Amino acid sequence: MLDTIMQTKLFAWVDRRTGAADIIKSQLTEYPVPKNLNYMWNFGSLALLVLVLQIVTGIFLAMYYKPSAALTYGGYTVAFDSVERIMRDVNFGWLIRYMHAVGASAFFVVVYMHIGRGLYYGSYKEPRELLWIIGVVILLIMQGSAFFGYLLPWGQMSFWGATVITELFGALPIIGEYLQQLLRGGFAVGDPTLNRFFSLHYLFPLLLAAIVGGHVHALHVVHSNNPEGIDVHSDDQKINFHPYYTIKDAFGVGVFLTIYCYVVFFNPQMAGYFIEVDNYVPANNLQTPAHIAPVWYLTPWYTILRSFESKLLGVIAMGGSLAILFVLPFLDRSKVRSGRYRPMFRLMVVMFFVDVIVLGYCGHSAPSETLKLVGQIATAYYFAFFLLLPFLPMVEKTKPEPEGI
Amino acid sequence: MKKYSLIAAGMFLALAMPGFASANEEHGPALKHAEIDLTDQEQIRRGLTVFTDVCMGCHSAKYVTYKGLMDYPEIGITREQVDELRGSNPLTAGLITELTPEDAKVSYGKVPPDLSLIVNGRRGGASYVYSLMTGFEHDDSGKVPDGNFNEYFPGKRIAMPDPFSWLGHDEADTKQLEQDAADVAAFLAFISDPHQNERQAIGKWVVGFLILLTLVLWRLKVEVWKDVKH
Ligand code: HEC
Repeated sequence: MLDTIMQTKLFAWVDRRTGAADIIKSQLTEYPVPKNLNYMWNFGSLALLVLVLQIVTGIFLAMYYKPSAALTYGGYTVAFDSVERIMRDVNFGWLIRYMHAVGASAFFVVVYMHIGRGLYYGSYKEPRELLWIIGVVILLIMQGSAFFGYLLPWGQMSFWGATVITELFGALPIIGEYLQQLLRGGFAVGDPTLNRFFSLHYLFPLLLAAIVGGHVHALHVVHSNNPEGIDVHSDDQKINFHPYYTIKDAFGVGVFLTIYCYVVFFNPQMAGYFIEVDNYVPANNLQTPAHIAPVWYLTPWYTILRSFESKLLGVIAMGGSLAILFVLPFLDRSKVRSGRYRPMFRLMVVMFFVDVIVLGYCGHSAPSETLKLVGQIATAYYFAFFLLLPFLPMVEKTKPEPEGI
Repeated sequence: MKKYSLIAAGMFLALAMPGFASANEEHGPALKHAEIDLTDQEQIRRGLTVFTDVCMGCHSAKYVTYKGLMDYPEIGITREQVDELRGSNPLTAGLITELTPEDAKVSYGKVPPDLSLIVNGRRGGASYVYSLMTGFEHDDSGKVPDGNFNEYFPGKRIAMPDPFSWLGHDEADTKQLEQDAADVAAFLAFISDPHQNERQAIGKWVVGFLILLTLVLWRLKVEVWKDVKH
């Protein structure tokens, strides 16, 4: 199909002015990819798809959404009312809104799988350090964007979540108080907060789009890693992205969309995991909900925060737990990339995945003494994982890597 | 090696288990299951009647308009019935109680919450509403002095007096109570998300189509890849 298009007169006209044919060749039809990528390599293209879905649905939502905390009848606000109008009166507004809300969770599912893949197969190692670091920037912006977005419906969890998180910045020395007021646009979370969060919620995805461009560009310079974690040189071990991986990615998209649409149409709130129950109650600054918890994708970091008695230490640990991802490529000093040939690393990284799930569970649940202890142990392991990496090559006996794939 | 990883993961989870168990402790008794069917027009209409006759004395459902009562096929009452209900209110007005927030505070100490989203906004949803409605205790021996004791409500003391207080404890009345409570729970569940039936109806086609598409893409993938040697 691509060939037929490329033979048309119109394409020739465009090509002469843009070099489109060369781009298509170098990036698609003659872009070499290792032939042995498994299905874990599908999540990159899926992340791109969800980003586009979020931007498109978000643009439509913004046509009806009103960022105002002005009170309306019954203790509701203009913002809350506008979301309900989308859900009830706007044609297919419910679909767009649920797609966006479920999309946020889907985005994190996909991106966490993508990151986990990178961890397991050592995709962050030389020469892909910068590719990984750009990825961490993407993760941070995503988390920020999701946090800003969650304030917009102005429900109880929106309000109290934003209050708790902005309060964290207040715990920082010297600049803390100033930073907190800057974020809130005042002393407490209120109308100015809502307006600036809306503005930032619209800005961040645009940043994302640009940075994702950089991520893909960096990838296309260093090329894909593969499950064996070895460099592939000979041509018979590589295949062209198009048609092989376009069709494989398309199949992945089919599977993803089936699951995603199943959730959107049949279980959009996901029993309070995707849209929390308390967020159907309008924000009330006089009534703190019994249990404040962020949405599931932020709960691991919330547990790290709560694992320390001192708020400042908690904030530093939480910041550190994300910042440490930036230096991961330099912490891991093993020459072998793939977990397949690193028995100890493999054990540690699988435990790390379980650890993050445990952290997430602790952050989601109402606090208790036992859970706190579990959370603290899990927090300790989170950091231990990264801090042990530099020393691992001293004790780890790696298995011989294969010659080719 | 894979086995060891799994064992380690399992041990890790086991370690975390006591925490998991204790976190599941919820206050209050288990909820009674509400027998509701959101495609049952009769039930939702009966629920609407309970709502307008009883609950609307104190509660609003501001996101549901009189026009909506005609337009949603799940309710679909006639223009005449709507006109009778709305009195002098415009068609586009929401179902708003005549009790002012100020008067409510004086009478009950609290403003009754809007019920448009109550089923989505409470853990347990429709079953919670049903349990709450059937959970009022009237104790003649005076152990519970007022009728506002409800073991399903967090804290058990609720500012809402039993809306069905005229019903007694004999078999017929209990049946009536359970019926009314289930009906109003169905109505409230419906208005919490009035496009849910439509959503699921469309969803069947969408998901069905996607499954077919995915199968086709899978066959295509296999076809394209068959000349790649491993
Ligand atoms: C006499 C006034 C009155 C009537 C009639 C009334 N309610 Fe209430 N309702 C209240 C008040 C007051 C509250 C606030 C209770 C509290 O927070 O302690 C309330 C609270 C509620 C709640 C929320 C409980 C919670 O978890 O916070 C529900 C659900 C509810 N009512 C349902 C109904 C239904 C259904 C009906 C009709 C069958 C009804 N009410 C009729 C006064 C009333």
